[in-house]
Amino acid sequence: MIRFILVQNRQGKTRLEKWYSQYSNQERHKLKAEVHRTVASRDQKHQSNFVEFHNHRIVYRRYAGLFFCFCIDTNDNELAYLEGIHLFVEVLDSYHGNVCELDLVFNFYLVYAVLDEMILAGEIQETSRSVILGRLDQLSSLE
Amino acid sequence: MFEKSLTDLIQGLRANKRNEADYIQKSLEEIQSEVQQSDMYCKSTAIDKLNYLHMLGYDTNWANFNAVEVMASPRFGEKRKGYLAAAQSFHQETDVLMLATNLIRKDLASSNAMEVSVALDGLAQVATPELATDLFDDVAAVLGHSRPFIRKKALVCLYRLVLKHPEGLHALAPQLRERLDDPDPSVVSSAVSVICELARTNPHNYLPLAPRLYQLMNSSTNNWMLIKIVKLFASLTPIEPRLAKKLHGPLSQLICSTSAMSLLYECIHTAVVGDIIGVPLPVTDSVGREIDFAELCARKLVLFYESADHNLRYVGLVTLAQLQARRPELVVNQYETVLKCLDDPDLSIRMRALSVISGMATRRTLDRTVKRLMSQLILSNTIRLQPVASLPSVGTTEYSCKYNGDAADSDLIALATDATGASLVSARGSIVQSRQLTAAGPGPADSPEYRLLVVEAIVDMCTRQSYANLSNFEWYVAVLVDLVYSAGVDVGQLLSEKLLDVTVRVRQVREFSVRLMRQMLSDSQLASRAISGSSAAKVLCTAAYILGEYCSLLPANSEDIALLLPKCLDKLDGEQQATFIQAAIKAYTNWLRDVAGYWSTEIWELVRAVTASTMSQLSDLLLAKTDDNALSGNSAVAELPLQVSSRLRHFVEITKAVSVATSNPSESAPQLCLELHELFTAYELNPVSVAAQGKVPQPDGLDLDSPIGGPIPDTEHIMFPPPPPVSSEPRQRASQSGSGRKQRRGQKNEPFYLDGGDDVRHSHSLAELPDVDDIPVVQLDLGGQGSENATKTRSKKKKTRTKDGAAKRERRRRVQTPSPPLAPVDIAGDEDMPDVSAPLPQPQSQQTSPAQQ
Repeated sequence: MIRFILVQNRQGKTRLEKWYSQYSNQERHKLKAEVHRTVASRDQKHQSNFVEFHNHRIVYRRYAGLFFCFCIDTNDNELAYLEGIHLFVEVLDSYHGNVCELDLVFNFYLVYAVLDEMILAGEIQETSRSVILGRLDQLSSLE
Repeated sequence: MFEKSLTDLIQGLRANKRNEADYIQKSLEEIQSEVQQSDMYCKSTAIDKLNYLHMLGYDTNWANFNAVEVMASPRFGEKRKGYLAAAQSFHQETDVLMLATNLIRKDLASSNAMEVSVALDGLAQVATPELATDLFDDVAAVLGHSRPFIRKKALVCLYRLVLKHPEGLHALAPQLRERLDDPDPSVVSSAVSVICELARTNPHNYLPLAPRLYQLMNSSTNNWMLIKIVKLFASLTPIEPRLAKKLHGPLSQLICSTSAMSLLYECIHTAVVGDIIGVPLPVTDSVGREIDFAELCARKLVLFYESADHNLRYVGLVTLAQLQARRPELVVNQYETVLKCLDDPDLSIRMRALSVISGMATRRTLDRTVKRLMSQLILSNTIRLQPVASLPSVGTTEYSCKYNGDAADSDLIALATDATGASLVSARGSIVQSRQLTAAGPGPADSPEYRLLVVEAIVDMCTRQSYANLSNFEWYVAVLVDLVYSAGVDVGQLLSEKLLDVTVRVRQVREFSVRLMRQMLSDSQLASRAISGSSAAKVLCTAAYILGEYCSLLPANSEDIALLLPKCLDKLDGEQQATFIQAAIKAYTNWLRDVAGYWSTEIWELVRAVTASTMSQLSDLLLAKTDDNALSGNSAVAELPLQVSSRLRHFVEITKAVSVATSNPSESAPQLCLELHELFTAYELNPVSVAAQGKVPQPDGLDLDSPIGGPIPDTEHIMFPPPPPVSSEPRQRASQSGSGRKQRRGQKNEPFYLDGGDDVRHSHSLAELPDVDDIPVVQLDLGGQGSENATKTRSKKKKTRTKDGAAKRERRRRVQTPSPPLAPVDIAGDEDMPDVSAPLPQPQSQQTSPAQQ
């Protein structure tokens, strides 16, 4: 199961955070700083996308200046979650049309909506891009 | 009023990059006023902005109640903002959550599917045990909704609720079963996910679902679901072995046919972890040949860790480690590949490879593995390398230099890897610098966790199964000494234990070991690092012990004694100092005995000289601390520890005895010199196992339960009258054993026995205290002089103290000790004693009680 999801930029600013486990506020701060330290210093070309973190794993992927990090349990399939990250980014891309970091900043509640459609309670629940996009259209028509 | 919308806030933030904190403070104040307003739109915008600020790290808990208000808004957009705020910042303990219960219930029952969905989203995030209990049925009702995505969300949300409210599991389980047959594939997929998570903790409940899941696995093409199903089966197979046989076929099919690496990985992982490879049926691989399933898995795994993609390598190594735990023979032939992975720049890959390699250690491979690991440790930036002048210039790190006995005494020996893998020689403080070492930044080998793991792995590989893998013990000792220099982490304890272990257990290597220890002790760089508690200190301490214990194996050397009383001795802690001194005694006596074999006048002079210098060194050590005593005036701190001072004195006595024995030049060696070493060679010390004490048979007739002596005789009636027997009688009658009763009575009346529950003593009030009149008083007659002196001093000292003070003291003392008129007791100079010549008032209870306050 996913413990938390963080999207951070290279300077360490959080653009999106979603916590699927109980953490107090101080713990959250500490975790965010630690994740940034661990992930930002890794070399893309020579290192894998999986890092051991406390007793979980972080699966992360870097898109332009943003790091998308999923923190999962040790017995989960990391390759699957890597694909999950990619799916998430693809959905965001088709929804916004060439999404960039500013889009995420200004429409952050939409990003949360997308995330909620895809992942609920720490599990990936929808993997079809068309279905997610259809639902998002419904949502935006309601606004 | 013009309020800032979210976009304005963000734009403002970006514009005010320099004074961000101030801007945010201002905005927070604005938001505070905005949330108080009754206009829902205003409130919801404020909550929206708060969400954003929360993401930046600001605490927004003060607006919890307002968030719930916004959640109640009829408009969907605003409602969503409220739920988002709840999801982000509410904790388990947030008290406003209780207000939200009815709200969520209404939303769940709403006709608008969007509202239901947003409510489910929010609930899944913030579920508390109370909320879970209350809303469980509502969510379960939603499971029958017409829209599939609502069903899907409800399923996952129910899972979350069940985690907080375990009783709901009974209701959930049949629903899950139904949902597995749902026409919509995404609902099925969620059901599978939920079952997968639940089965991890409680697989038995979900075993009946296995046939349906099996069907799904064979029919579905959705990779995500397949991965989940396969993972599910991994938790089910341990409890149902027949399942393994059934899965055998489809799983191997999947492995051969799928192109998705993630699915392949999951299948192999399940096959290994779920022990499906234990099934002895052959399978057909992609080419149509029949091979063993385990072999198939191993072959496919090779694809993983030989690939250039680091991700695949990592997961491949993880599974390889699992495979190795179950079928080591399949993994052994992968040695070369894994050895390459050991040099990967990625630290996590290295650590995985390390664990696999250390499991693969055999006699043949141990050598190369250890050499590779050592070179990693040494060629990292943690060890500062210095060029060595006396060695020929070396272009590479590899050149042949075989160890032999002479080389040990030479000044410097270099680290070398022999082409034939013969031996690794030990290095001293300076190590040959490789020209190939580039000035790179800290690499993965510099991480202390990694280094620690490497050292532990090396030691573990060598000592496994009492050195089953070692063919050359001298090499092993040299490796340990090298590790002392090159470890860079605090492994002194481990290394010293291992050194001691191998030296004591393996007789043949003792001589080599002692030689190396002598070298280590004479290394001044290492000694400078040896402060109390450091790892170098522990190793040196063990080195001293070994040198002392087995110094008879080498030709005796009087410098050993100097080695064992080094200058840094006072920086070590007590135990270590004691070891050094004891070892020095052993070395000294050994040398004496050796030298006594070829006695002559020069030898006699030598003996006298060495004895004298040793004595002076020892007295320095003894006095050094006492000097500090005098200087600092703080005797408690600078005193020699007991074991150190006792051993020092032993040594001093021994040297004194020897100097007395050699006070006159003699023809032959004094008997003393020959025999002193017998002190230490009477018995050989052998290692003792931990369970040895338990094996000692108890001598016959030893009864540990009976009391050692008779009961303590009751002497209390001399000191105190017996206590009132009222409350003590039942207690005495209640006790069973005769001796116990007697003991207990004796204990009760013992004056200093503290019994928490026994309030016999507490029942004594002050009036019942034994009358002080009964205390026998002895008359002391010090002669008539005493009284005169006393009066004189009394008058003198009266000036320095106030009359009131003395009077108070006298009053106090009079009241506290209501004594009968005592005989005149005059002790010179002590004017605090009350004037006992006057008769004192008798004790009265009114006077005693205020005094007791």
